[in-house]
Amino acid sequence: MKKLIPLAAATALLLTACGNANYATTQIPPVPSPSVAAPATPAPENCKGVDPLASYQPDGPLPDPKGPMPAGTWMETIKKRGRLIAGVSADSFNLGYRDPITGQIQGFDIDMIYAVADAIFGKPAPGEAHKVELRVISSPARIPSLRDTKNPVDIVARNMTINCSRWDQIAFSAEYYRSGQKTLVQLDSTAKNADDLSDQTICAPAGSTSLDNLKKRNPKIKPITADTDTGCLVLFQQGKAQGISGDDTVLAGDVAQDPYAKVLPERFSEEPYGLGISLQHPEFVKFVNGVLEQIKLNGYWKASYDRWLEPALGKAPAPPVARYGRPIPPK
Amino acid sequence: MTQTQSAPPATVPTAPPPGTTLQAPNARTAGPRGAVAQWFEGTPGRMRAFLILAAAMSVVFGLAAAQGFSQSDGALDRAQANTAQLVRIQAIHTNLVSANADATNAFLVGGLEPPEQRAHFVNSLAAAAGLIAEAATAQPADRDVLGALNKTLITYGGLIEQARANNRQGLPIGSQYLKDANSVLQDDSLPLVKALVEANEKRVDTEFDGISQGTIWILVGGLLSLAVFAITLRWLARRTHRYLNVPIAAGAALVLLTTVVGGVSLAGASNSAKDTRSSEYERTLALSRARIAAYDARSNESLTLIARGSGDAFDKAYTAAAAQVDEQLGKVGGNGGNLQQLWTAYKSVHDKVRETDAKQGNWDGAVAMAVGKDETNSSVDTFNAFDSSSNQQLTRTSTGVQSELKDARDGLPPIGWLGVPLGILAALLVAWGMSQRLEEYR
Repeated sequence: MKKLIPLAAATALLLTACGNANYATTQIPPVPSPSVAAPATPAPENCKGVDPLASYQPDGPLPDPKGPMPAGTWMETIKKRGRLIAGVSADSFNLGYRDPITGQIQGFDIDMIYAVADAIFGKPAPGEAHKVELRVISSPARIPSLRDTKNPVDIVARNMTINCSRWDQIAFSAEYYRSGQKTLVQLDSTAKNADDLSDQTICAPAGSTSLDNLKKRNPKIKPITADTDTGCLVLFQQGKAQGISGDDTVLAGDVAQDPYAKVLPERFSEEPYGLGISLQHPEFVKFVNGVLEQIKLNGYWKASYDRWLEPALGKAPAPPVARYGRPIPPK
Repeated sequence: MTQTQSAPPATVPTAPPPGTTLQAPNARTAGPRGAVAQWFEGTPGRMRAFLILAAAMSVVFGLAAAQGFSQSDGALDRAQANTAQLVRIQAIHTNLVSANADATNAFLVGGLEPPEQRAHFVNSLAAAAGLIAEAATAQPADRDVLGALNKTLITYGGLIEQARANNRQGLPIGSQYLKDANSVLQDDSLPLVKALVEANEKRVDTEFDGISQGTIWILVGGLLSLAVFAITLRWLARRTHRYLNVPIAAGAALVLLTTVVGGVSLAGASNSAKDTRSSEYERTLALSRARIAAYDARSNESLTLIARGSGDAFDKAYTAAAAQVDEQLGKVGGNGGNLQQLWTAYKSVHDKVRETDAKQGNWDGAVAMAVGKDETNSSVDTFNAFDSSSNQQLTRTSTGVQSELKDARDGLPPIGWLGVPLGILAALLVAWGMSQRLEEYR
């Protein structure tokens, strides 16, 4: 009997051992490696001898917004719909941005849209809104949103540079603003121009032309990308980027939001802005060109510039002169 | 084991284990075998052998019964602890998505968030932080992931506050901070929460399965000992021409009684645990999932509006989340009270929001509904109604799980610690019964 006791004790120990709760440690799930955005390969500029800034010549004076729009035109379609659908930015301060306090999207680009809408529907009565549906689109969505077959936008006003490769996909209005690429740095930076920024981390939106221009300007700069211009400002504020490169209009908005930043005077590219419109509606392009011509003359353009861009970019330059003469492609 | 050369195998008086002695009962023919061999010789020897076998079996039965009970009892206990942990993790998840729904919705109103919404955001985040500490104490195996989760929440909270500070100053960069915060939550925090949910669901399943395994121990142990008792009694009856050896029969009865009472009560406990698992526990899971999906849907409603016309992806995410709510509410079934109606009411306001925004192009009107400024069609009010009602139900079902599992555990007879004493008692009865017969051979 006594011999059984150690045996029983051993069995008891064995038995209880298998019922214990020794759970495996919960594993931290592996972080999916971020997909590296393919570097934007700049489309080879093939202008085939056509001036990229040349748009379609407007036909005579604009139709009276009080009356109907000419039959068969896209303006008629818009008027019948009751609103102009525009693709805009909501995060480019002073160009197209959502004012957090009022919730309204406003800025220089938005004023251009309002001018087009008012030319179709007439000036809204005081207290009324412009007849516009603003769709917020991202930078890479600018061309697809115009070419969308199901629910396209009529017009895109989102600091879009006119160039020949884009002309293959969409039409542009005449130039409405001349921007250029500059670089933003910290207030205490001693850099004079992009040459002094070697080995510094500079942010530009992924897939943008700004990124390519920057690499061309000084290959020793370490580029870092964000999804949007504002994403770059966040990286800058978090100390992950020592500077931002982009259009002077965008950088002006960044400086306005962050007093610890300054923009270097060196401008190393020309960025003529145009309003994007579908290639299907050359009559609408002509109409918009007529509107732009009108607002450049009647002070609307300068008033808008003074309101949005003057504080950061200085006195209003003369509005860019429209260039025409592009032949309308056969449908 | 190596045998030493100096020890001739036949003369070593080592005590062979009881099992081997039994298989060599005709030891008396093998000449002088020493005291042990003599002890098992003849009928009294066999009696002693049966005595040892039956007594050992009784003790083994006692151990098996104790093991079976402590296994089931432990599994019930751990199932209770793990369901509590799972509910805690789900609550962390709910609090996080609810905070995020507040934050994204506040973005639609701009810098001037409604104070109640702000308070709700702060409370949700605070509740999540408290629950994380609680969960780390309750389940050490979850500690690493919970620590990682805490880190992401510090980043999240920081980004949200930066977004608010910029929003308050009217700077549009606030929206970028909000987007970043949202992506920290979606890409960094929620995968951790999901890993925790999966790990704990697995643990709960393992323990629920383990509850019924205790029954096997007691049944197998009981049947084997009863068989040994039956053989012993039969052999004794034949050898001694007495029908029944009362003490040994009493031992057998004791084993039988323990087996029956233990088996029945364990089976009962495991059945009631099974019931809890398929009803109250299922409902708790479904309600938690429905609530999480509902907050997700609500966030996506806001995100669709924030994206202003390019929110197709968010709209699709809304549809998927809303379908998930319907599916989970379907599992809750009739026990959900008016939850389905409340959810349908919210969905119909949501449809109006989409109609106003997408079909009529009236973004401001849609936002008024989504932030509760439009009092006839307020998705805030309808959502809050669903939220508070589903929260009450979840509290009810999850306490139900806890109390049902506790009742099942409390209902078990104390065989866990009585098992071994009972086995020893049965062994003593065998010894007593057998010694009466052995007396006759003195």
